[in-house]
Amino acid sequence: MPFTDASSGESVRFEGVGKSYGDVDALVDFDLAVNPGELVTLLGPSGSGKTTALNVLAGFTQATRGRVLIGDREVQGLPPEKRDVGMVFQSYSLFPHLNVFDNIAFPLKLRGVSRKEIAERVEDGLDMIQMGDLGQRMPAELSGGQKQRVAFARAVIFRPPVLLMDEPLAALDLKLRESMQAEIRAYHQRLGCTIVFVTHDQNEALALSDRIAVMGDGKLAQIDTPQAIYDAPQSRYVAEFIGKTNLLEATVAGSDLAIPALELTLPVADLPAHSAKRDGPITLSLRPERIFRVCQGDAEAYPNFEARVEDALFMGDMVQYRLRLPDAQTLIVTERRDTGGARPTRGATVQLGFLPRDLTPIPEPS
Amino acid sequence: MKKLTLPYLAGLAAALTLAVAAPAAIAQERTLAVSGSGGIVGEMNTRFFAEPFTAETGIAVERLTSEGSRMAELEAMVNSGRVLWDVMEISASNYPLGVSKGLFEPIDYSKVDPEGLLPPGARAEYGVGAASFSHVLAVRTDQMPEGRMMSSWADFWDVETFPGPRALRNRAEDNLEFALLADGVAEADLYTVLSTEDGLDRAFAKMDEIKPHVTAWWTSGAQSVQLLSDGEVYFGTSYNGRIPPLAQSGLPVEIMWNGGALHTSFVGIPKGTENIEMAHQFIAYRTMNAAQMRQYMAELPYPGFAPGLYDGVAEAVTAIQPTAPANLEAQFSANPEFWGDNLEAIQERWNEWLLE
Amino acid sequence: MPRIFRHWMLWPALAMLLVFFLMPSVDILRASVMDPELTFRHFERFLERAVYMRVLWHTVEVSFVVAIVCAVIAYPVAYFIVQSPRRVQFLLLLLIFIPLWMSILIRSYAWMVVLGREGVINSLLMGAGLIETPVRMLFTTPAVYVAMIQILLPIQIVTCYSAMSDIDLGLVRAARVLGASPWEATRRVFIPLSLDGTITGMIIVFMLSMGFFITPALLGGRRDLLLANLIEFNVTQLNWGFAAAIALMLLLAAIVGIVVIRLAARLLLRALNGALAR
Ligand SMILES: Nc1ncnc2c1ncn2[C@@H]1O[C@H](COP(=O)(O)OP(=O)(O)OP(=O)(O)O)[C@@H](O)[C@H]1O
Ligand SMILES: [Mg+2]
Repeated sequence: MPFTDASSGESVRFEGVGKSYGDVDALVDFDLAVNPGELVTLLGPSGSGKTTALNVLAGFTQATRGRVLIGDREVQGLPPEKRDVGMVFQSYSLFPHLNVFDNIAFPLKLRGVSRKEIAERVEDGLDMIQMGDLGQRMPAELSGGQKQRVAFARAVIFRPPVLLMDEPLAALDLKLRESMQAEIRAYHQRLGCTIVFVTHDQNEALALSDRIAVMGDGKLAQIDTPQAIYDAPQSRYVAEFIGKTNLLEATVAGSDLAIPALELTLPVADLPAHSAKRDGPITLSLRPERIFRVCQGDAEAYPNFEARVEDALFMGDMVQYRLRLPDAQTLIVTERRDTGGARPTRGATVQLGFLPRDLTPIPEPS
Repeated sequence: MKKLTLPYLAGLAAALTLAVAAPAAIAQERTLAVSGSGGIVGEMNTRFFAEPFTAETGIAVERLTSEGSRMAELEAMVNSGRVLWDVMEISASNYPLGVSKGLFEPIDYSKVDPEGLLPPGARAEYGVGAASFSHVLAVRTDQMPEGRMMSSWADFWDVETFPGPRALRNRAEDNLEFALLADGVAEADLYTVLSTEDGLDRAFAKMDEIKPHVTAWWTSGAQSVQLLSDGEVYFGTSYNGRIPPLAQSGLPVEIMWNGGALHTSFVGIPKGTENIEMAHQFIAYRTMNAAQMRQYMAELPYPGFAPGLYDGVAEAVTAIQPTAPANLEAQFSANPEFWGDNLEAIQERWNEWLLE
Repeated sequence: MPRIFRHWMLWPALAMLLVFFLMPSVDILRASVMDPELTFRHFERFLERAVYMRVLWHTVEVSFVVAIVCAVIAYPVAYFIVQSPRRVQFLLLLLIFIPLWMSILIRSYAWMVVLGREGVINSLLMGAGLIETPVRMLFTTPAVYVAMIQILLPIQIVTCYSAMSDIDLGLVRAARVLGASPWEATRRVFIPLSLDGTITGMIIVFMLSMGFFITPALLGGRRDLLLANLIEFNVTQLNWGFAAAIALMLLLAAIVGIVVIRLAARLLLRALNGALAR
């Protein structure tokens, strides 16, 4: 079963890569190290340089500066066909004049694989994507999900050590997207190749990745596991980009942490263990789901404060409140719907609390 | 409709306000549609015939240009019963064609030439002779060998004495006559010879001799003179009226009248027009008015047959007319009936011969 | 958009087709066999006299050569244009369109000026001392080819261009990253995808060539008689029946020609792509 053999993935490294288009710097001193066999997503807002990074890796664009390595091969200067990477495109890019079989066979033909072996491997590939009987279909006769599967099979049929995917699921509807994410994870496990996956959908990144590389303005902002990215963003930018959060300005003075917006002062020692505790101003991130309503009786158990409900947004299993603090700053709080008790109405004043360890200090940019 | 309505309303208004002006204004509604060649021929016809005719009779003349497809258009109109032309020019070769297809109204000579002054050749049953033209050889005098001048079709065929590229019209008509003349057939016998199979073979055999020396086979009059002025050919046939302007522009070119083919073109009335009366009126003016015709032929040497036409015409003007006595003498009269009957078959052979 | 409405939008076009294309075609067909009662003598004459089949063959030959040469020249030109920046593309297309605004007659005359005995080329060659007597270029078959190709080339370029500009260049990149060299990507992706448009252009050029008569009459030699010249002659002689028969033979030859072009294109595509085999 050649197709399902786990090929060994190779590492990918960007070292100080820069790319400019005239005045526009698409990549600035971009560093990234992806381990062999790892699935890393490049996540960032539109224009942050994700596609550029991928194109530099694929060989479609040449970096202005820096080094790009696949395994221990330096690849800058190599044309795309010499890099031995597979790629899946957002628009699928299936060849409209070739049927499914010939699309998948395309890379093998170019590599001089014998007819017999091509037939076997493509059949295997079709089985893997559960399209065994659709080999003779033309791309125009396929659904979006089927096209995506064919594009995937075509990209991995020649067992490339590295697979690049540029927003491959962006055109699919939510449900299909989620099931394709699961499929991609399964294929990844089976194939063992390294995957660099571009997306601007944070949920997708959180669901898929071994690690997420958050990009901003052509730079790498942070790379970490999904959980670490979510729980311990290393910059304001990452904190605000990944999920929703409340940013609170605070001041450390000796052993006291003052949060004026909440009219609270806490012991610095209550902050998470790894945070910096130097004197001076500090920004704290407090996730909306980490804030809860407190009853009169619990008032002493948690730090708590008052806020007025501005509006409530129904989100299925959750309700999201927008609240106004006494100093006029807004605050977002989400609450599971099964939380007991009557839900506060607009204009009501509520008592809110949180656990001090959920306050994540954001390191100031140096 | 629109054409008629506006002047009509204008005429009505004029009649109501100014009783004196009324006759002239109403006369303006009468319009005659004349179909004929465009270009210089059309211009001169308008200037020397249509405009003075309108001035004299009050009948407006609308000139409609029609060229190669004139007969096809005519047939379509006649068949559909919507004839938009009242008078039309009929070229020499189209006359027998139109007659055989019944596309013309007969001419009432009591209205055109009651005294019978026109020569018999101009008084055809379905058309009145309006212009003579010649299909003649024109030569570049600067390309003649020292002290020699082409003076016959035999000379044209003599490529030793008169070397140089030649041009002929891409039609059997006239060319076969030229070939027979070059081969020594007398003018008077041309069509008797041509009517026999042997005579036809003889003409084509003679054409064989000249074929390799003819570089261009023209299909339009404009092209025929272009060839001479561009220096593509030294000797080429054309229509007589096209040569004088060329000479005036400074090109050393001259007509060889000897053995020219003299044709008559007609004006006639398309079958089914409603303005037969006015059409006759215009045809009479076009064919019988010597004064106008003299002015016309001074500009364009396509003279008609109006009585007394050559009276008092300057020698220089007479010299370039195809029907001037000296030129008339040098040429032969083409036989449209012969070609009307035989063009299709002979042209087919001609095309085959050209491809050989 | 509801179906009915779409159909409704097509009515004027259908009516136009019916009135200006279908009815005249039926008329021509009728004229060729009814004269005045049912007869095949026009077709018999066409087939019996050598001249007509020879002219038909020459017409087809000229049209094929013109279509092929136009395609061969136009393809790389269109490719070059598609590769240029947008603004340059616009300028280049404009440049190519300019001659289309001149009549065929004028362009044919222009070629007479260029190719003539005392024309531009001969004057240059003689001026440079390369030749002593003028070279005969005008009134030859090559002159007809050159002029027809020049006249029809813009049409082919524009059709090729529009086919090429529709190609998603992402497909070419996809081919590259999947292992294709630039030439392989062109051969296996770009050419097959632009072939349809090129073939369409070739068919248009072929059809237009089949109907040419001014250019061969002005620039060709005595053998450059095309079928349209014969139709024209017969129309002026009011030989509608025979003219219609010639027109139908021309149409038939054109249809056969189109089928041949399509077949050839399919073979070419297969050769380029090598189906399953390499
Ligand atoms: N070919 C190009 N010419 C000029 N500028 C470019 C080009 N390609 C990208 N850029 C610019 O480089 C920057 C990064 O673009 P890139 O396509 O890498 O963003 P992205 O992160 O993939 O965005 P998106 O999520 O919208 O796809 C942008 O400012 C973009 O405008
Ligand atoms: Mg992108």
